[in-house]
Amino acid sequence: MPRKKGDTLRKIKRYRGIYLMLAPIAAYFLVFSYYPLVLGIVNSFHKVKLLGGSQFVGLANYQEVAGSRLYRQALQNSLIVGVGTFLLQFLWGLMIAVFLNEVKRKTFKSLIQTVTYIPYLLSWTVVGGLWITIFSPTGMVNGILNKLGVQGATVFMAEPAFARPIMIFTGAWKGAGYFAALFLAAIVSLDNSLYESARIDGASRWQQIMKITIPQIIPTMKIVTVLSAMGVLRNFDQIFVMGNPSINDKVQNLLVLIYNDGILKFNVGTATAAATLVLVVTMLISFIVRKLLRYDEAYDGR
Amino acid sequence: MKKRRLSALISALCLTATAVTACGGGTTQETTAASTAAENKAQETEGAKEETTVQAEAAGGSVRILMNVTGGKDEEEMKLFVEALEAATGLDIEVEKPVSDYSKVMMQKLSGGEKYDLIYLGASEYANLIDQETLMDITDYVSNSQILSQNIDQSEWDDITIDGKVYAGFNKKEVHRVVALNNVMLKAAGIDYQSITPTLDGYYEVFSKLKENNSEADFYPFEVIMKDAWDLQPWMAAVGVKTGVVLDDSGKKYAPVSTETAAPVWEWFKKLYDDGLMDPSSFVDATSDMRGKMGAASRKNACCVDWAAWVGLHNSNALAEGVSEDDYQVVSLPGCETPDGSYMLGKGGASLFAVPANAENVEGAVKVLEYFATQEGGELLSIGMEGYDYTKDGDTYTQTEIGKAHGNDHGAPVPIYKDFKAPFGYNPGMEDALSLGNYASIEMTISNEADYKEIVGKWGIQMIRGEASIEDGLAGMRKELLERGVTEVE
Repeated sequence: MPRKKGDTLRKIKRYRGIYLMLAPIAAYFLVFSYYPLVLGIVNSFHKVKLLGGSQFVGLANYQEVAGSRLYRQALQNSLIVGVGTFLLQFLWGLMIAVFLNEVKRKTFKSLIQTVTYIPYLLSWTVVGGLWITIFSPTGMVNGILNKLGVQGATVFMAEPAFARPIMIFTGAWKGAGYFAALFLAAIVSLDNSLYESARIDGASRWQQIMKITIPQIIPTMKIVTVLSAMGVLRNFDQIFVMGNPSINDKVQNLLVLIYNDGILKFNVGTATAAATLVLVVTMLISFIVRKLLRYDEAYDGR
Repeated sequence: MKKRRLSALISALCLTATAVTACGGGTTQETTAASTAAENKAQETEGAKEETTVQAEAAGGSVRILMNVTGGKDEEEMKLFVEALEAATGLDIEVEKPVSDYSKVMMQKLSGGEKYDLIYLGASEYANLIDQETLMDITDYVSNSQILSQNIDQSEWDDITIDGKVYAGFNKKEVHRVVALNNVMLKAAGIDYQSITPTLDGYYEVFSKLKENNSEADFYPFEVIMKDAWDLQPWMAAVGVKTGVVLDDSGKKYAPVSTETAAPVWEWFKKLYDDGLMDPSSFVDATSDMRGKMGAASRKNACCVDWAAWVGLHNSNALAEGVSEDDYQVVSLPGCETPDGSYMLGKGGASLFAVPANAENVEGAVKVLEYFATQEGGELLSIGMEGYDYTKDGDTYTQTEIGKAHGNDHGAPVPIYKDFKAPFGYNPGMEDALSLGNYASIEMTISNEADYKEIVGKWGIQMIRGEASIEDGLAGMRKELLERGVTEVE
């Protein structure tokens, strides 16, 4: 053991230049991520007053969150909308990437790639407003339905039955181009000799896609899945912009409730307790997804 | 393997930490230093309150204000506003006006230990911050100030008095909301607006005639912002029900709109929706959408409930766009008659400047509040800056083009000074709308007003759309209001 300690010190001394270069990054994370995180966790055990004089309340804030029907409902909504969006976005992105790989004309390929990627660059304020207008009683969807002979206007954004499908669809629409870019990057780097061999063996384009392209980009799919799992509870902007009281029961999620409690009602203790629970649940989801995907094994380079 | 798992966990921590801080950056920034400073300041405050003989007139130094809505329209004009305020009060004024997300910024600033002498607040934030012990009790300053106690109606002070204490002064006089109607459309349908029967049936008949007289498929005579339950008061008056939360005989909070007494009004809304007289967008529209549809450029609705000031603004905007009074005119009515023959209108929650508990120049802050409660202060907050928004020659005011574009609003279209004389008068139709103020009263200030609006809006929409019967919808509304602590009894 003492020998190991000596080794470590020697290594630190030997690579001190690298450690020094890492120091600003470490300081950045300590100051801007971990310090607020720790303070948030500390606050979650207090009844917080804005100008000081906070009072320790033990687990009372956690009990309040755990006992709240709203938070339970919000967790359910977050998971349903989050997982639904991820699955649709994944398939959508994959389809776009495979399609783009098949397109030979460079201009058309770039055009499709740009068009599908642009929504990802826009804020939810813009995208949400756009879809609210499209789904409004005088919007495009009702216009098409009327042309098809459907009488009257449907208020899609006030229909609880449509609420989650709309959020999932619009979320996937916005992010599909981003996933497509990731998948396409993996596809174009595949060894072309695999396709040549398959063609010599008489494989059709469809068979090449299913037997070569898809299996070869599984590592990329795993990375995308793990990263998405970490963000599944982090959807705030979309619901904040597109939610309304008539559909909130179906879509209001944890971050929106935390915002309402923490920012609008100044219930900082409750909000930070809920935020800490989001952290724990995210870690749990991340751990389960990694286990299910055998992510670490793939990472070992098998 | 273990190291990688650990790094994965740390990655998740980082990502979620971003969510935590993104949602409540301010929530995590409270510092011990801030706590100590605030505690020290609270003690100083106690001392200051005991010395109420110190009059605001003697105040000096600098006053730091966190401002929203009030002041100049851009950075350049904001400088002029500050200069005018400084010249009038003799104080050094420092103003911070966040571009957006005011509530979030305010919370972050306060929890970060920043010190202001005045902060802008709405009624709901006022109640929340009093609960938080973030605001200073300035009751004694108000009662010792001749200007504050005499230039402002006592009823205004009553509206913001909580447990016998006042924690803020006024940014402006909150006016009331009225029933706004498109008079040109009414005339075309053969209706004299002054002879409309002030009952639910009377208005139903008006809306039916308006619909019959308009061939546009997307025209709906009536719109209401139902998602926020905003503003149902002129209609709830038909059954004598007060919107918001009120106290019952035993002093417990309840919401009259959720009681069986209100059922006929909810049935009326449902009938309007079923018969195509209520705009279906009422369930999702915001007030800005409603105003757009009511405005001269669109004219997709003919009746809504809006601020008295908006009656004038609709008319003024139409004239500015070259639309004559013969083509477009909005008029106001007080809505349905109550069972005892009066009317009930909703008045806006207060628009305030509060003194934080850690303010360093309370006297200076009070001096600013006093100035806002004078004719001159009212002019600054309404018609703007002399030499920029208007020029003055003796008693004659001349508005500049910039001043006209600013619509007599620099934070207070109607200033709080009770005898305020608007130098340029009010926009067409606004004076009539203002004259209905006698029927207006505010809703009780509660800290969870947003929950009230969400719950009433949600159940209201379900009842109107027929997803819940009126009986079940009201029962659901009462249950959820109680469950979320908005009311204390069903």
